[in-house]
Amino acid sequence: MNILLLPILIPFIAGLLILTISSRARFIKELITLFATFTCVIISFSLFKKEAVFALPGIGFGIEFNLRLEHLSSFILSASTAISFLIALYCVSFLRSKPYAKQFYSYLLITLSFVSGAVLSDNLIFMLFFWEGLLLTLYGLIAIGSKDAYHTAIKAFVICAVTDLCMMLGIGLTGYLAGTLNISQISLDLSPLATTAFILLVIGAISKASSMPFHSWVPDAAVDAPLPFMAFLPAAIEKLLGIYFLSRICLDMFNLMPESSLSIMLMVIGGITIILAVMMALIQKDYKRLLSYHAISQVGYMILGIGTALPIGIVGGIFHMLNNAMYKCCLFLTGGSVEKQAGTTDLEKLGGLMRKMPITFGCFVIAAVSISGVPPFNGFFSKELIYDAALERGWAFYLVALLGSFFTAVSFLKLGHAAFLGKLRDEYRNVKESGWLMLAPMAVLALLCVIFGVFNAYPINNLIQPILGERAVGHSFSGFPTNFTLVLFTLIVLAAAIISHLIGVKATGSGVRAVNYIHYAPVLSKIYELAERKFFDPYEIGLKLLSALARILYAIDRLIDWVYEKLSINIVFGLSRQLRYWHNGDYTLYVAWSLGGMFLVIIFLMARG
Amino acid sequence: MLSFFITTPLIVLMILNLPFRSLMKRIVFVVGLSLALIQAVLVALAIFGFWDIYSIPVSPMLRFNIGVDNLSLLLLLCNGMVVFITMLVSRSFIEEGEKRFNFTSLLLLSFAGVNGIALARDIFSLYVFIEVVSISSFILICFNKDRDAFEGAFKYIILSAIATIFMLTSIALIFLVSGDMSFEAVRAALDNSAHTSLVLMAIGLFLCGFFIKAGVVPFHGWLADAYTSASAPVSVYLAGVSTKAVGVYALIRIVVTVFGFDTPINKVLLFAGALSVVVGAIATLTQTDFKRMLAYSSISQIGYIVLALGIATPLGIAAAAFHFFNHAVFKSLLFVNAATLEIATGTREMDKLGGLAQRMPVTGVTSALACLSIAGVPPLAGFWSKLLIIIALWSSAHYNYALIAALASLLTLGYMLLLQRKVFFGSVGDHLARIKEGEWNLIICAIILAAVTVGVGVLFPFNLCKLIIR
Repeated sequence: MNILLLPILIPFIAGLLILTISSRARFIKELITLFATFTCVIISFSLFKKEAVFALPGIGFGIEFNLRLEHLSSFILSASTAISFLIALYCVSFLRSKPYAKQFYSYLLITLSFVSGAVLSDNLIFMLFFWEGLLLTLYGLIAIGSKDAYHTAIKAFVICAVTDLCMMLGIGLTGYLAGTLNISQISLDLSPLATTAFILLVIGAISKASSMPFHSWVPDAAVDAPLPFMAFLPAAIEKLLGIYFLSRICLDMFNLMPESSLSIMLMVIGGITIILAVMMALIQKDYKRLLSYHAISQVGYMILGIGTALPIGIVGGIFHMLNNAMYKCCLFLTGGSVEKQAGTTDLEKLGGLMRKMPITFGCFVIAAVSISGVPPFNGFFSKELIYDAALERGWAFYLVALLGSFFTAVSFLKLGHAAFLGKLRDEYRNVKESGWLMLAPMAVLALLCVIFGVFNAYPINNLIQPILGERAVGHSFSGFPTNFTLVLFTLIVLAAAIISHLIGVKATGSGVRAVNYIHYAPVLSKIYELAERKFFDPYEIGLKLLSALARILYAIDRLIDWVYEKLSINIVFGLSRQLRYWHNGDYTLYVAWSLGGMFLVIIFLMARG
Repeated sequence: MLSFFITTPLIVLMILNLPFRSLMKRIVFVVGLSLALIQAVLVALAIFGFWDIYSIPVSPMLRFNIGVDNLSLLLLLCNGMVVFITMLVSRSFIEEGEKRFNFTSLLLLSFAGVNGIALARDIFSLYVFIEVVSISSFILICFNKDRDAFEGAFKYIILSAIATIFMLTSIALIFLVSGDMSFEAVRAALDNSAHTSLVLMAIGLFLCGFFIKAGVVPFHGWLADAYTSASAPVSVYLAGVSTKAVGVYALIRIVVTVFGFDTPINKVLLFAGALSVVVGAIATLTQTDFKRMLAYSSISQIGYIVLALGIATPLGIAAAAFHFFNHAVFKSLLFVNAATLEIATGTREMDKLGGLAQRMPVTGVTSALACLSIAGVPPLAGFWSKLLIIIALWSSAHYNYALIAALASLLTLGYMLLLQRKVFFGSVGDHLARIKEGEWNLIICAIILAAVTVGVGVLFPFNLCKLIIR
């Protein structure tokens, strides 16, 4: 058996196996999950930076089962298997008492299998097959969360299914234009038709990364779905997959030029996603929901970076994707830790957990400063690269990115203050630190944040730069940024964030309300209110439009029914009643009819004659 | 030999009316029944090739020209069959003794008259036989001597009288032109002097006379009252053969054999036919009386026959003849069912009935078969004749009429299902809980007719083409 098949088959078989095991045999399931994910980690690391091809005979129409491992895919594969293993480890403790543990493990493994398949497939049709397969587990993972979670699950399913349909069309168009469905052989210039294909494929990719406007299920899932799901899919794996495919589209399949309107389109999407999502994150009062908006916001940076189509921006975008997977996953895991120990994630109730959960707090701080872009943590370096590229393409993009950074920092100051500092409530007196099984993945991720920050040269030079191939020759992106003006601005913004937080705390006397002056600003408060009521949610708007359309169609349907059931029947029966009325039994009338008829017949005949 | 068809019933009638009436009263039922049966069997055998049907012998007897062709055979068959059925039905309605004797005598007279219509080969004898049938029909209608029956018969007499005037005038005019009465001579004379206004007027008058006798809209006023007020066996006879013979058959015979087809004539026939189809079908929908509903349905079905005749192609005439036969079968069947219902429940108001299929399985099933046949549902006989009509209309480029025929066929299905649902489907009301199936003679009638309509439908592609295509 080819080694490329193993990362697909092992988790899939293990996932199916778990479904067959009795839900009481918890230990066996955990063991299978850990074993399968760990095997995948070993396989993918052994494949790391290698190139390999595996092909089965095709079934015609250019649909061939081709697997191809090269630099970018081996790198994404390693990252996703590693994160899966860490999440699995975390789940052993976190899911101990949960009734849905069995399904969760199974879906997690099947998801991993599909992700590996999607990353390794060289044929667009098979990639689409695995990509669509993820919808099933996405639905399953959300729906098991609670009794009413299926609402959110359906929302996620519908949004992803619609965008996947776009992608399907895009794949068809691309295959038609390129004459092949093998990703490695496609290279298209952006003609009008190819532009359509490009846009359709981009919709599929950024929706998988839950960028705006395809994001609205993520905050809902944060509340409804099991927490490890959030750390696993929206925070890490989906970003990896979506951005992986986006960079495939932009770098390999199409030749995206820095000055093209498509590049600007991507940058605008990125900018809007950054700023709107972080504004929403700012006012959240729930640990998980706040993080979920950041998960959306960070995608904006990646899209902005790749959308610049400049080597430095692409490197920044992909590096940010990697960094985001670490710190965002870590942040969600700290959230899970708090939820498990304290029993709530409501920021109004939490506070002062620093003493009780020092390691969780430590991990949180490292991840939070990473995401805020504080040197020398990893987020800082990737953001600086993106800033650089954005400034080159236009000061407005840079400003938006910088503003996003400011709000990110403010909201994490608020989150940290509200959850870990401040006064400890009485009911949380007995809260203890989580077990080592939960702490270990967090600690590993936090450590990676530091390592990837301090020793950023290794990942950038060895992992990311080769992806760009000849485009990046002669550039150096690693090390401390050379443009000190940008660093200075970043530091100023971070300082401003701290000052803003301090002012906010002083004004309201509480960490959680530190951003109230933004939340309740004259115009913003109205907008926030509407946004919280899902007024801007594209899904809700789509539902409203659809229900309006359905009402119109229903009315048309009623009209047709009415024509058949009422109008025609009434006409016929009305005529019938009229005829009955005329047949009054008077024979003179009948004689008159007959004579009249005779005259008509004879006149007609004689006139014709 | 053909003249036996006319003379035998007449002679039998005379013998029956000789002295020994007490003896005759006992055998009259059997005699009538067997006469009709023999005729039906003989003709049925003829259809299957027993007779040389293409010979047209001319007998000098009574100076009538008589002859037979396929169309005549069809009427002879219908006559035998329907009179047989009528005799059987009358057993339940007309009490034994003087009444049944009189009834059978009249029926035999009418029977002879219809045979005469079938065989007549000159215009005047055709007219005489029509009058024979009509007059015996008047008496039959008011046989029960109740008020409604007299009213129905009276309307029929008045309108028949008008028809008679039309026909006699027309015959006189034609005699003026041709100087002879036989079909061939008149045909030849009309061909030579075609389209003079005198001839056209004669033709118009003759057509209107037949329209009245057949009950084509707007000449149909008498029909519903006469059918409804007559007693049950008379209704069967009127609907099955009497008015069909004096009106429809005579119309087909005269148009095909004597007048020949001409565009204005065709247009009149098509228009009158289509009008009858639509008006009859629509008027049916709001009727509450079972028999009146059937009467209006008859108007609609007669419309189909006239419509088919107006197409003036061989296929159209064949379709008309076939529908003529089918209508005799299924309309008789429905009137037999109406008779059964009337005896069992004492009412014909459909709103008071319901769910009777459970109590009267044979009546329910045969009625359903007749309804489906009349509505043109395959593979029953009615489907094939309607199909032929619509195909003939379409192939001769009468698209509007084809559309009307097809849509009216929907209406037909509608009102027939309405009837079936109101009377036979649903749940049985309390007042109907003790209803039982009708007597054996009614059951036999229903089964025979249902078997014919199903059998003809199933066997149509194999056998009946031979009979109908001239």
